[in-house]
Amino acid sequence: MWRPCGVFDETYEKDMAIVRTPLRWAALLASLLALGILPQVASYHLISFVNNVAITVILVLGLQVVSGYCGQISFGQAAFMAVGAYCSAILTEKMGISFWLAMPVAGIFTGIFGLVGGAPSLRIKGFYLAIATIAVHFVTMWLILHLEITEGSRGLTVKPPQLWSVSLDTDERMYYVIIPVMLLMTYGAKNITRTRVGRAFVAIRDNDLAAQVMGINLFYYKLLAFFISCFYAGIAGALWAHLNLVVHFEQFTLLHALWYVGMLIVGGMGSIPGVFFGVILIKLLDELVMVVSPILAAWFPWLGTAPAAGLGVTAFGAVLAFFLIKEPRGLAHRWEIIKASIRLYPFAH
Amino acid sequence: MRRALVCGFCFLWVTFILALKPLEGQAKEVTWVELADLTGPVAGLDVPGTMGLEDYFKDLNGRGGVEGVKVKFVCVDTRYDVARALSAFKRYRRDEEVLAMGIVSTPLGKMLKEILGKEKMVITCPGDGEFQAHIGNFFTWGPTYQDAFAAVLDWILEDWRKKGQPGKPKVTLLAWDTPYGKEPLRGGKEYAERIGIELLTPEFFPMGTPKHDVYLSRIEASGANYVYVAAVDPIPTNIMRDASAMGLTKKIQFVSDYWGPTALGVGTHPEAVEGMVMVSFFLRGDEAQNHPLTKRIWTTYRKEPPEKMNEMYGTGLVWGMNFEAALKDAIKRVGKEKLTREAIYESYERLTGMSREGITGPCAYSKTSRRGSQQVRFYRCVKGKLVPITDWVTAPDAVSLHKW
Repeated sequence: MWRPCGVFDETYEKDMAIVRTPLRWAALLASLLALGILPQVASYHLISFVNNVAITVILVLGLQVVSGYCGQISFGQAAFMAVGAYCSAILTEKMGISFWLAMPVAGIFTGIFGLVGGAPSLRIKGFYLAIATIAVHFVTMWLILHLEITEGSRGLTVKPPQLWSVSLDTDERMYYVIIPVMLLMTYGAKNITRTRVGRAFVAIRDNDLAAQVMGINLFYYKLLAFFISCFYAGIAGALWAHLNLVVHFEQFTLLHALWYVGMLIVGGMGSIPGVFFGVILIKLLDELVMVVSPILAAWFPWLGTAPAAGLGVTAFGAVLAFFLIKEPRGLAHRWEIIKASIRLYPFAH
Repeated sequence: MRRALVCGFCFLWVTFILALKPLEGQAKEVTWVELADLTGPVAGLDVPGTMGLEDYFKDLNGRGGVEGVKVKFVCVDTRYDVARALSAFKRYRRDEEVLAMGIVSTPLGKMLKEILGKEKMVITCPGDGEFQAHIGNFFTWGPTYQDAFAAVLDWILEDWRKKGQPGKPKVTLLAWDTPYGKEPLRGGKEYAERIGIELLTPEFFPMGTPKHDVYLSRIEASGANYVYVAAVDPIPTNIMRDASAMGLTKKIQFVSDYWGPTALGVGTHPEAVEGMVMVSFFLRGDEAQNHPLTKRIWTTYRKEPPEKMNEMYGTGLVWGMNFEAALKDAIKRVGKEKLTREAIYESYERLTGMSREGITGPCAYSKTSRRGSQQVRFYRCVKGKLVPITDWVTAPDAVSLHKW
């Protein structure tokens, strides 16, 4: 997977390549093949789980751009996802636009909406910005609840997307939409972070005053980070809406926004693989709790529903606390260390 | 650090493997999955209900099950999180041993309705009238929210006349700003028009609102005579606390829907809730705590005195009774080996008139009804106790008045 110690890039193209060795190419192709045949061999539950993970990955990638790379803490991601979901639902159901057009439009609309949410970042930062984004969450939810077009508390029913004559009405079929979109979005995020824009984000995160002195336009780049982040959330929302066929404001709570930030902390801020690590670990933990709690209840009947009630939030809290104390740079950092130690083997450094 | 990570990973892996290990040496089992909110906003009603259901199945299995078929109870805490509940639903959706499910979230119900389509599976849920209007997989626990509201409007009219007041009373709704909070109006509004009651502008407030003074002030200014409160306990108790502090409980009659204060809540704020009236489709207060069946099962499995029992526990027992009766019917019709979700679904539609030992009114499920029962009873909070003020009455059908 990794380059052996002592192998160097000889051209600029090689240096810039994302996939840099034949072994990596092989691993990538094998992974794509495995992803392609997964619905044929895996259970319905596993596919629905993968879909859920993939949508969350898209969402958290957006959060990674704005928080992990640009350093702007946001608790508004669940609300932005809601905007994308509603936008896509309205475009397809009320205006008769195809899902394939509605999805990018929802992303762009959410991006523009996010500019409003991100505007406070020009004047405030840190905890203050976090609180401002929480306010954005509540304002968004209030709007959804009270606007006529969103049908208030009734929510919107969505039809499954059509691909020619095929209705993508099952998890297995939607998988073939969600996974390519996730891969595309991952590729996009990876590239953004390697460009001039990405470097500007990192400079702002590390020291915004110094970045400004260097000539980086804070106004432009902070808003751009919010736009990109919300674009991702919008795409995730559109996919969520058309996978689950109903959009309702109670699907996007502040608690979800906290979970997304938690996933970022566990995975590692400022790392694209970290998003995958964080999302997969937290989602797996959630599934594990779901599997384990009935078993515990069956083995220890005196516990009753206690494992089901207590285990989920406790596990999440414990994992988060563990990472904040023991591994504040997240699983991505550990992954880098493991990669380096294998690359340098048998030498320690 | 690395050692800690490796140990943690090993622990998770071993737990996962253990979790996958099948339970051996068991008789024929069917499964009920309860997607409950045990730690979220409606935990106040769902925790005791789930406890009741769990204990009923323990009792049923202790009696040998239904003709040897035992019921496995699986409970998942959804935390009122739709995504998590959906994930849990998908985990069990194609498990053939799962014959029925229970849920507690209106948005989840809407979502599952779309996902299930024409697939037949019994899903029990609270009182959303939509599920009665569009007959399908969802069987409500009692009368719908609008039916209960219509029954309250009848009671209000009678109370107004009894007090010798002229004209018609002014009524308003004070409810959560959620689908559940707004549900009474879908049909209830039409019923109010039909019987000539003026419904004032409703007041909706977000879940988690700590103080309700603003809404109560507006209600006072509107000149309402009666306020119908639709929120899950302890919120109605909190509302009464605020109303009592503002002196409104002496001027306005507060009436709660069936998720209003339980005996435990009434005992906590006896002065504040004094005089509040409540419509209920299940026994409350002493009646519930001293009911022979609830008392026996509660004291056997919870080993606590009956006074500590939340009345929703009895509703959980009723969910269990329904399932037992449906299972019995299905086994009789198709046999033990051919038990399917469809058979259970059809059996639920045949439970019409089934008695629940008086914990609720008789079952109203049929091919054309998804109502758990159509009977309600009124209670009043008096000196820290819930006292019945009417016998069981049949709630009007408000669902059919609404244009769905």
